[in-house]
Amino acid sequence: MSVVNEFTKGLWKEIPPFRLVLGLCPTLAVTTAAKNGMAMGLATTFVLVCSNILISLLRNVIPRKVRIAAFIVVIASFVVIVELLMQAYYYPMYKILGLFIPLIVVNCIILGRAEAFASKNPLLPSLADGLGMGIGFTLSLTFLGAVREIIGNGTLFGMSVLWSSYEPFSVMVKAPGAFLCLGVILGLMNWVSTLQNKRG
Amino acid sequence: MIIVLAVICGCSGLVLSFTNQVTLEQRENQLLTYVQGPSIQSVLSGQEYDNDPIQDRFTVSLGEDDQGNPIEMTVFPAKKGDDMVAMAYASSGMGYGGEIDVMVGFDREGNLAGVSIMTHAETPGLGARIEEPGFTEQFRNLEVKDGVQLSQDGGEVDGISGASFSSKGVVSAINKAVDVFPKVKEEVS
Repeated sequence: MSVVNEFTKGLWKEIPPFRLVLGLCPTLAVTTAAKNGMAMGLATTFVLVCSNILISLLRNVIPRKVRIAAFIVVIASFVVIVELLMQAYYYPMYKILGLFIPLIVVNCIILGRAEAFASKNPLLPSLADGLGMGIGFTLSLTFLGAVREIIGNGTLFGMSVLWSSYEPFSVMVKAPGAFLCLGVILGLMNWVSTLQNKRG
Repeated sequence: MIIVLAVICGCSGLVLSFTNQVTLEQRENQLLTYVQGPSIQSVLSGQEYDNDPIQDRFTVSLGEDDQGNPIEMTVFPAKKGDDMVAMAYASSGMGYGGEIDVMVGFDREGNLAGVSIMTHAETPGLGARIEEPGFTEQFRNLEVKDGVQLSQDGGEVDGISGASFSSKGVVSAINKAVDVFPKVKEEVS
């Protein structure tokens, strides 16, 4: 049961960018289209799951004093692997995400989960935690990207979804649109939670 | 403490060098398809050819550098039947923000077939305008027996105003390519 809990908490209760408000740099920067957000989310998920697994396995070997250094080495290695793989098999996306792939190293979610969860829990819960958080992050980024792409460009995953006379609101695919969109989503989520709390 | 950290770093190094080696070939292919491919197509677009220059690429050796390492260059030939009508190869020059990589195409006589900028780190809006056709199309079918010069130095190509370093970088890359053309041609035939 607890494994399921660890997994599902990443999907709503502690969904990374909206609830923990962590990892905002890629959240704001790469969500200009749904596809970009999804690719970024999947890359981050891969790193998160792998680093959670490895750190959980090594948690009794790593001395407390150098744990952060050890975590960063583990995380950075996986990030470079993602970068190389992406360069090799998905070059156009590699060009779009550019600098933000190496920047996954400093994504607070990954180090945060390593420090707060994987370093204290056995393999299975850590795996569930990483997977849940990663999928939550991917969904958030895809959703944010989809909203911005629809309003700002009239398309979703590159396909036209709005009527042809729709005048794209191009500020939404630029930097201010990311803040506007994120703010509105955070507000709505808080509103929904307040309603739930009142009822409960 | 130090041992654990050293072991982790060592393992990480091993895994990374392994990944690097495994993906090396595929990454080069991707570069060929997405970066050099379009440039090659653009510089050879004025020529009539029916082969795939990337498929038929070959390396030529251009002697040795100061340290005695062999200098090798990849040449992309454009052929009609078995007849080589043109070829393209990469060259680079120093711009304002670093190296500018340029794909340079030559026809059979050694005149420029075309020029395409592949990678650069020039200032957006100023030096980065070297990418624009308004600049690069000036080199199309240009006679370059004695190299190219900007009009400010008495040559035939107009540089981009406000970006003389970037324009000169491109021109120097082209001149480097022009310099080695006789050698390359000798190797090819």
